[in-house]
Amino acid sequence: MYKKIIVAGGLAVASVALVSGQAAGPQRPAARSAPPASTSAPRTSTSAPQGQASEAPATPAPDVAAQRALLDRYCVTCHNEKLKTANLMLDKLDLARLGDQAQVGEKVVRKLRAGMMPPSGMPRPDQATREGLIGWLERELDRHATTHLPPPGLHRLNRAEYANAIRDLLALEVDATKFLPSDDSSYGFDNMAGTLGMSPALLEAYLSAAGKISRLAIGSVTAPTMTQYTVPPGFSQNYHIEGLPFGTRGGILIEHEFPADAEYVFKITPVSEGNMGQSNKAFGQIKGEKLQVTIDGELVKLFDWDREMGQGEGVRFGVPTPRIPVKAGLHKVGVTFLATNYEPDSSLNQPFERATIETGGIPGFVFFPHIGLVRVEGPYDAMGADVTPSRRKIFVCRPSSAKNEEGCARTILSTLASQAFRRPASAQDVGTLMEFYREGRNEGTFDSGIEAALQRLLADPEFVYRRETEPANVPPGKSYRVSDLALASRLSFFLWSSLPDRELLTLAGQGQLKDPAVLERQVKRMLADSRSEALVSNFTGQWLNVRGLQVADPVMLLYPDFDDNLRDAFRREMELFFDSIVHEDRSILDLLSADYTFVDERLAKHYGIPNVYGSRFRRVTLGPDLDMRRGLLGKGALLTITSLPARTSPVARGKWVMQTFLGVSPPDPPPNVPDLKPKKGDANAKEPTMRERMEQHRANPYCASCHKIFEPFGIALENYDGIGKWRIKDEGVPIDSSGVLVDGTAVDGVASLRETLVRYSPQFVRVVTEKLLTYALGRGVEYADMPLVRSIARDAAGSNYRFSSLVLGIVRSAPFQMNIKQPNTEQQAAR
Amino acid sequence: MYLTKKHIPRRTFLRGAGVTLALPLLDAMIPAGTLLAQTAANPPSRFVGIFFPHGMAPGYWIPKTEGTGWEFPLIYKPLEPYREHVTVLSGLHARCAEAAPGETAADHWVASAFMSANKPRRTAGADLFNGTTIDQLIAKKIGQETLLPSMQLAVEDPGAASSNCGEGYSCAYSNSISWSTPTTPLPMELNPQVVFERMFGDGSSAQQRAARRARDRSILDSVTGSLARLRTDISASDRRRLDQFAQDVREIERRLQIAMKASQEAPTASTVPVGVPDSFDQHIKLHFDLLALAFRGDLTRVGTLLGARDLTNRFFPESGLTMSFHAGSHHGEDTTRLMAYAKMNQYHIKMLAHFVDQLAHTPDGDGTLLDHSLILYGTNMGNSNQHLHYDVPHVLVGKASGQLKGGRHLAYPSKTVPTGNLLLSVLDKFGVNQDSVGDSTGRLENL
Repeated sequence: MYKKIIVAGGLAVASVALVSGQAAGPQRPAARSAPPASTSAPRTSTSAPQGQASEAPATPAPDVAAQRALLDRYCVTCHNEKLKTANLMLDKLDLARLGDQAQVGEKVVRKLRAGMMPPSGMPRPDQATREGLIGWLERELDRHATTHLPPPGLHRLNRAEYANAIRDLLALEVDATKFLPSDDSSYGFDNMAGTLGMSPALLEAYLSAAGKISRLAIGSVTAPTMTQYTVPPGFSQNYHIEGLPFGTRGGILIEHEFPADAEYVFKITPVSEGNMGQSNKAFGQIKGEKLQVTIDGELVKLFDWDREMGQGEGVRFGVPTPRIPVKAGLHKVGVTFLATNYEPDSSLNQPFERATIETGGIPGFVFFPHIGLVRVEGPYDAMGADVTPSRRKIFVCRPSSAKNEEGCARTILSTLASQAFRRPASAQDVGTLMEFYREGRNEGTFDSGIEAALQRLLADPEFVYRRETEPANVPPGKSYRVSDLALASRLSFFLWSSLPDRELLTLAGQGQLKDPAVLERQVKRMLADSRSEALVSNFTGQWLNVRGLQVADPVMLLYPDFDDNLRDAFRREMELFFDSIVHEDRSILDLLSADYTFVDERLAKHYGIPNVYGSRFRRVTLGPDLDMRRGLLGKGALLTITSLPARTSPVARGKWVMQTFLGVSPPDPPPNVPDLKPKKGDANAKEPTMRERMEQHRANPYCASCHKIFEPFGIALENYDGIGKWRIKDEGVPIDSSGVLVDGTAVDGVASLRETLVRYSPQFVRVVTEKLLTYALGRGVEYADMPLVRSIARDAAGSNYRFSSLVLGIVRSAPFQMNIKQPNTEQQAAR
Repeated sequence: MYLTKKHIPRRTFLRGAGVTLALPLLDAMIPAGTLLAQTAANPPSRFVGIFFPHGMAPGYWIPKTEGTGWEFPLIYKPLEPYREHVTVLSGLHARCAEAAPGETAADHWVASAFMSANKPRRTAGADLFNGTTIDQLIAKKIGQETLLPSMQLAVEDPGAASSNCGEGYSCAYSNSISWSTPTTPLPMELNPQVVFERMFGDGSSAQQRAARRARDRSILDSVTGSLARLRTDISASDRRRLDQFAQDVREIERRLQIAMKASQEAPTASTVPVGVPDSFDQHIKLHFDLLALAFRGDLTRVGTLLGARDLTNRFFPESGLTMSFHAGSHHGEDTTRLMAYAKMNQYHIKMLAHFVDQLAHTPDGDGTLLDHSLILYGTNMGNSNQHLHYDVPHVLVGKASGQLKGGRHLAYPSKTVPTGNLLLSVLDKFGVNQDSVGDSTGRLENL
């Protein structure tokens, strides 16, 4: 484990930054700033928490003139005042005062770090000289860095955070998409404080959610409603589905929050036969199927498919079960077929993986029947709710007589408010809630009183917004440390996308959270906690755009093996893969080259991994023959979302590789680019290979000037087709995935591309840090933050970039713990 | 291969009401007081703005002749029964959707410019700038007395692709076509159930709905009371955001007041739409049904609908085309594919016709709702294959209370008349008189 070097007085020295893998190993920082002391009062920017270089370096910077000469020799040919290439005029850049032009300096550093400059074909300095220049620039930038602490601002809980907060506050699983519209995103994430605005429609949605959720939590829902669950249209039901009982085939597993102890009806609609029209006949010709409905694994109804579901009105409108009594709370409803030993003959010669339901009736083939929809209707004859997790969580006491009702209500509401507001509830808070309690109590029972108060609580701006107080005694323009309670919220919303738990709030309440040792323990505890799955799904879902998989739409005729089972498997693989980095605290460099992945039978088949059976995902080691599946580059999810519906796109993939691993974007495309000619319908027509199409770009110098930068990255991935399947031929011609990258490296296929990216991994570490910092702070990360990004990356080097070391670096950083006091415009206006 | 589309019947809307579609039952729910309270003498005008991205197939939407008496082109064919209410506009130039000088291919991220005619500021951050859209300018004028000043509807959830917006443009520009201020996008509602509850309240009986509205009101009162305390120790910019919240609270209080007055006659049926239908066809029709219903009951006078998001890969199986919207829009100038794309555009117009038909059959004052409405339906590309923004299709349906003469095709000289001119003239029809809007250079002649 990397030992911290503590230097008194917060003196920070930025040393030589990471150098790429070819040079000798990364050098340690000579020293680093002291972590914030546990007892410190709000600090000013000169004694900021980690990562903020603030004092002069211990060693003098090497000669400015030498660096100037390098720029003149290698860069100024294009980037000068006359040509203004990329609007960058390096001849005008005063290296002695680089700190004043940090924005330009950072731009240069980024391009150099990513190996983008000088472009191939132009003279390049040798590796050592290049590293020397980059290191010098970075040191100068770090030396002059100013503390960049813009407060992210009032942060409205976004949809995911709201759902998690409800889960943690009330032990209630809600589908927030039913209550709130989706949030806008900026800087690639939907948790940016500045973008999470309010509007009457949104406020109305929060208000309405408060009513519905409080009724659901108390169990006072009486009016029946209907919830509908759809099996995705492209989902094959020929096999066992993970989570359903063994010995079953297909169907759907639903987690449903039952609002009350009552009777419910489950209405099942089969997939019907025929092409688009309304049909009274279910799809699937195989006879004798039995369909079972289970609740938490208990059989509650068995249907004889042929007699009860296969034909008639029910095919169109659903076949109901009798009313079934269910206790309030979250239960698993399974609707699935009993598996038989029968193998449809079509499965023997079934050429494609795609689910049969997309293909209608094919003469000479028989299929299993499929379920299309399940609707849950109820509650009927609601009896309220007796014992549910929500009620257990809410009712921390029960009044034994009318006399102590008020006291108990106070206890309940003060407990809830403290968690909901993420701070100890004040007498005033409880007083307000008690007004609503009394109003509800007068109209009904003790429970209805609590329900009314809960509704008020959920509509409170202090629940809906993350509010951070600003100290009065700090002058505008000066930085200050956020309160321990605010820090607790920043932590929990970063790592859990949810409210802080009791332990965090207790520590914060005692003023202990800012203590570096306590903070570190808490971060590790939080990362180990299952709630950090939110970080996996929300961060990766957006950073790597795994969410985009949901709308990826490979053309059925060209990719008949792509179905929703594969789509789900892709997503699951990504989650489990990233989850292994987080929960096993692995190096983030494993994202580039880990020799393991997670597959179920479906995905294993797609990847060509033998001996994997069943719907359970398991870790597999990727040996030399499965080298192409290592790291992010080999993941089907990412290869699919970087393809077009009907073909691969070396352009899109090249751009993606550059952005994801090197942190640079290719120039925007010019307007009015004609599309590639589509494939002809005639299967026998000779089509050009993707590589041949791409060659067209190089024939045209105008296209080539940019395409040669990003296309070779994409060409190197041509062995993966549009859904990430490995192939060795394109249009019958062996794939040529060779090319020369912009830095002059010759690559041939994914393995050599991966090696190159590993060589540039210092840049990758920064890109990940930058993204994670953006996500953590809820604001855009700008050039002024780059010294901090470098410092976090440097500090993480000691532990070989373990995930927790990046998270700790962020959590310890000044922007995470401090804000700058804003000028009080209102006071100015009043004067 | 033998590929056909599967079919799952989705009676997502009504429970316990047989097979019928939404409207008949909703019909019964109109608070009698509000509908009949409309005096026959002076019914209000209504405005609807509908946006679909990706242009229309060139050659299939411009009538062969100008003026009146032309033959309906293929795409607009579904509107033929309402000829006297249809005004086809050709030759307009969506300059606001073009890439700004020095920018490239930035034209897929600007649906928001459709009704502002202003080039949105390129930013992925919080400093959005789009200009106020005309639906909101109109709502400020004619929507203030109704329950909802305006309604924003969407048929495609941006959630799944929200980090996919590109070229430095915030997703806000492709998520919302309604902006209440130059910097404030309004969320477009996907869920018909939410729309329904916004119109009629939440609850299974009139009594319950009224009680819940009363509770909501006292909550808002109480929240307003505590806002002053919350404002004290936060930063100036946070205070401004909290003030926005306070303003929104007042707006909701205003609505509740109107709603509570009407709650005596609140709908009695216990049926609400359930969730989001997964077929586009049913989803958009349901939204249109609700909007028509809101017009009938005078619950709102302004609505906008985002028919699809830019770059969408959505299929419209009912149109017969097996390509996605975006893929189809890159028709490669190929005759067969152009025709196929035209069919998809025609299918979208068919959805519009579903709405128009309802308005045409709803008596309103001295005529029908259609007589008193103005529907602006349009896109921001001409030839989408080349991402061209001139010769962009727009069609107006309705007579705007006698202010619009239908049955006409107005052809404007190509590349000279910005869409801002159209917006400015539409504003005129609603008594919102401005000198300019967005990139307008004047008013639209002859409209």
